[in-house]
Amino acid sequence: MENRSAEEITEVLETVWTLQEQKSATMEQVIDNAAKPVSKALLERLAEDGLLAIDDSKRVRLLPKGRLLAEQIMRRHRLAERLICDVLGSRVEDSEAAACEYEHLLAEGITNSICTLLGHPRFCPHNKPIPEGECCRQARDELKPIVVSCNQLRVGESARVAYFCAREHSRLLKLSALGISPGVSLKLIQKWPAYVVQCEETEIALESEVAQDIYVWQTPPE
Amino acid sequence: MAPPIHSDSKKVVLVGNPNVGKSVIFRMLTGNYALVSNFAGTTVEISRGWMQLGGITYQIVDTPGINSLVPQSEDELVTCEILLREKPDVIVQIADAKNMRRTLLITSQLAEFGIPLVLVLNMIDEAEERGVAIDSQGISDYFSIPAVETIAIYAKGKRQLLNAIQSAKKPRNPLLELFPGNHRDPGLNALSPPVLLSIEWMAGGDRDFARIIDECLGSEAGIRLKEWLADCRSSGRNNPAREIAEIRNKLLDKAVASFKKKRPVRFLEESGSFNRFWLAMLIFGLFIFFWNALGGVLGIPTPFGAAFQIIGSRTDALIGAHFQPESLLRNVLLGKNPDGRLEYGLIPELVHFLLCIAPVIIPLGVLTSGSRRFAYELGILTRRASTGIPILFVVLLLLYEFVGYTGAQTLVGLVEKVMFGQHLVPFLRTLLPSGFFSELTLGKYGLVSMGLTYAIGIILPVVGTFFIAFGLLEDSGYIPRLSILSDRLLRWLGLNGKAVLPMVLGFGCGTMATMSTRILGSKRERFIAIFLLALGIPCSAQLGVMLGIAAGVSPKATLTVIGVVASQLLLVGWLSARFIRGRRSEFIFEIPPIRVPQLKNVALKTWYRVQWYLKEAVPLFLAGTLILFVLDSVRLMGRDLLSWMQAALEPVIEGLLHLPAEAAGILLLGFLRRDYGAAGLYDLARKGLLSGQQIVVSMIVLTLFIPCLASFFMIIKEQGWKRAAAMAAFIAPFAVAVGAAVSWILRALNIQFN
Repeated sequence: MENRSAEEITEVLETVWTLQEQKSATMEQVIDNAAKPVSKALLERLAEDGLLAIDDSKRVRLLPKGRLLAEQIMRRHRLAERLICDVLGSRVEDSEAAACEYEHLLAEGITNSICTLLGHPRFCPHNKPIPEGECCRQARDELKPIVVSCNQLRVGESARVAYFCAREHSRLLKLSALGISPGVSLKLIQKWPAYVVQCEETEIALESEVAQDIYVWQTPPE
Repeated sequence: MAPPIHSDSKKVVLVGNPNVGKSVIFRMLTGNYALVSNFAGTTVEISRGWMQLGGITYQIVDTPGINSLVPQSEDELVTCEILLREKPDVIVQIADAKNMRRTLLITSQLAEFGIPLVLVLNMIDEAEERGVAIDSQGISDYFSIPAVETIAIYAKGKRQLLNAIQSAKKPRNPLLELFPGNHRDPGLNALSPPVLLSIEWMAGGDRDFARIIDECLGSEAGIRLKEWLADCRSSGRNNPAREIAEIRNKLLDKAVASFKKKRPVRFLEESGSFNRFWLAMLIFGLFIFFWNALGGVLGIPTPFGAAFQIIGSRTDALIGAHFQPESLLRNVLLGKNPDGRLEYGLIPELVHFLLCIAPVIIPLGVLTSGSRRFAYELGILTRRASTGIPILFVVLLLLYEFVGYTGAQTLVGLVEKVMFGQHLVPFLRTLLPSGFFSELTLGKYGLVSMGLTYAIGIILPVVGTFFIAFGLLEDSGYIPRLSILSDRLLRWLGLNGKAVLPMVLGFGCGTMATMSTRILGSKRERFIAIFLLALGIPCSAQLGVMLGIAAGVSPKATLTVIGVVASQLLLVGWLSARFIRGRRSEFIFEIPPIRVPQLKNVALKTWYRVQWYLKEAVPLFLAGTLILFVLDSVRLMGRDLLSWMQAALEPVIEGLLHLPAEAAGILLLGFLRRDYGAAGLYDLARKGLLSGQQIVVSMIVLTLFIPCLASFFMIIKEQGWKRAAAMAAFIAPFAVAVGAAVSWILRALNIQFN
């Protein structure tokens, strides 16, 4: 019982957050948009707990305590989407449902590891912002991320391909036919006017969108 | 040598990545005799040749360059089809030894066919220079195939290759061995080779492949394959193609790690140093080149101008005295105008070539062919924005010198003025002095005097020189670098760097360029490219005539025309990028190394293109002329149809554009052939009937107007009636509207160009 209500709370906070990203949210909208059934009573209980505020016109708004919680949930959810989409190569549409299942399993420590593995991504596959975690702030300040997108490399820097953000199988085939596939070393040799990478002795021109979707190990692990 | 057909003849198919020296090996094996044909139903060309070896006749089939046998392009599809349909006795894979991973990707796929396979590691010297050492024995053992190291351009390794072709055995298929469950899967073992490849083809869902597999491997094989895929899905393996791709990646990782060793880059002694003398010559040549090219614009005396003067005053005395004043030879050599000015002719052209083209081209060729390091550095300089854009400027100026001068001045002068104007047409006149047929062939709108004179006399020399120049650029590996440089700009127009090829080709011939938009990746890009080509890219013939007109007015006028046309092109491109829906294609491609163009390749390509021009475009010229002839000769109420149409256009011409009534004919002609219009304009301008303002306005309208009939037919062929009509319905009023606006602004601000 306790577990179920935790999931429900998660669902409410998630829905309110998502709605607030677009505009403000009313109680009906929250109830309509939630993926799981949510009762009005639950919303009112959360308001009592100080997680949300409901004003006279039935508008719902996250309070600092709720926002903090929602931020963590959203972070887990969207990181899970990224993981499923980029590393496991599922389609963007499929990643949503799977991420809903995943997000409940991720502990704080694991979330940060995944975030680091993915190179502290800032947007989910649906292009919505992923809330920053402690690890992102640290990485920005002191540490170099382990996996970065190819367009974050400096010119002249070599790296090993970790994975592609696989949107289309045809792109994968095209890249691997030219010699770029996971595990291969490449060197970024030009950024402007188009990206040029060298793979073996072949020079390959890429547009920035494609380069951005190639993720590499910046410091090749031995 | 006639193609010998013996019952004991064998078939060898050459397969490999692009730019690995396949055609060099093909020529090495077959000598120079080759039969070139289009592969059934495609535009892809296949060469076949023959070779005698140990009493057996081998037919050698050269296939287009590919990157993978899981096809991404028409070329790759054709190669797969050849391998399946032609049932070769031996497959020879030609590889660039520098790129082991890409090589072994294809090797692992070819090994699947179960046909004796030979691997040729070509350009082994270049690999060595780039610090790549290859364990060819290791590769040979791993796949159990002969692996031969060659340097094809020096015919090194030819004997070993011939031995290998004779002794090749069925290869091992390591990929299938690594496939999970391969031993326990009777369904898999029942499939016909190439097992995993055909799974990938089938899983890709391509209808072509289902048909090809049915036809080549038998319909039973197709059914078994479908059953296996269905079994796979029902047991929860949703993506066998992905599994295969993963196993292949693992195999390649391992193979590359064990067969390729990396050493530091070191260019071999003789190819690593450039010749200082020629480098100095190049710098000196560039200096002369810029002096000549820019001196004319800035009004500074140039070496070329000076040399031209001397030729003008001296050669006539030296050479001219020996010939009759109007003799053919004198005209060909000196090409003097009646007013005494040198304009065309072989001697002025020689001076032009020696002073304006050779100083850059010859040192560049010597350096690039002599030093691989120079070619390597040049490859880097041409793709970077900071150095690439100045180099592009030099390339464009050179293109202008060759096409705009050698083609549009010298060759046009020789063919149009001398051959047609002074010899062919007068000669035909003596045969057909008067009557209907004389009028039809030699009259004002005669098939020979206008149609052929334009098609062969003016446009062929210009388009021909353009094709040569373009072929040289293509074969040197420069075009992909141009794509990199122009990607950003073209992206803004809803295209990408790949579209630079049709766009540049458009300055040669719009019809050909429209056809070449097939290389673009998506329907939307093809539409936008064709639309922009039709709107604002003037073809070389038109450009040639317009440059002639521009020479007569101030540079300000030329700049105004270029500025207005370019801004409209950008504006319309930007709008179509925003409002035309559809998928954009991705920009991923290989940049080949810079090489000295092989003249034979260039000659062959130029010849095919010229042939195409003669076959496809010349009939349209004749048809256009015939239409004009009919319009001019059919009379209605005392006036011919042409003047009726002109009368109908006059309100637009005089009222909106403020041009003289005669200009109506120009627009009409302009639709039949853009350059007919430009030439008509040239006539009017020469007669002094147009003011500077009017020249600017009419050039703008003519450039933006619907292209010639020939390219309009090509648009219909590529895009269908509806879209072609929609383009025309936009372009015609748009061109007039821009012309009217420019005319109004020029008059309102009282800008003069005299």
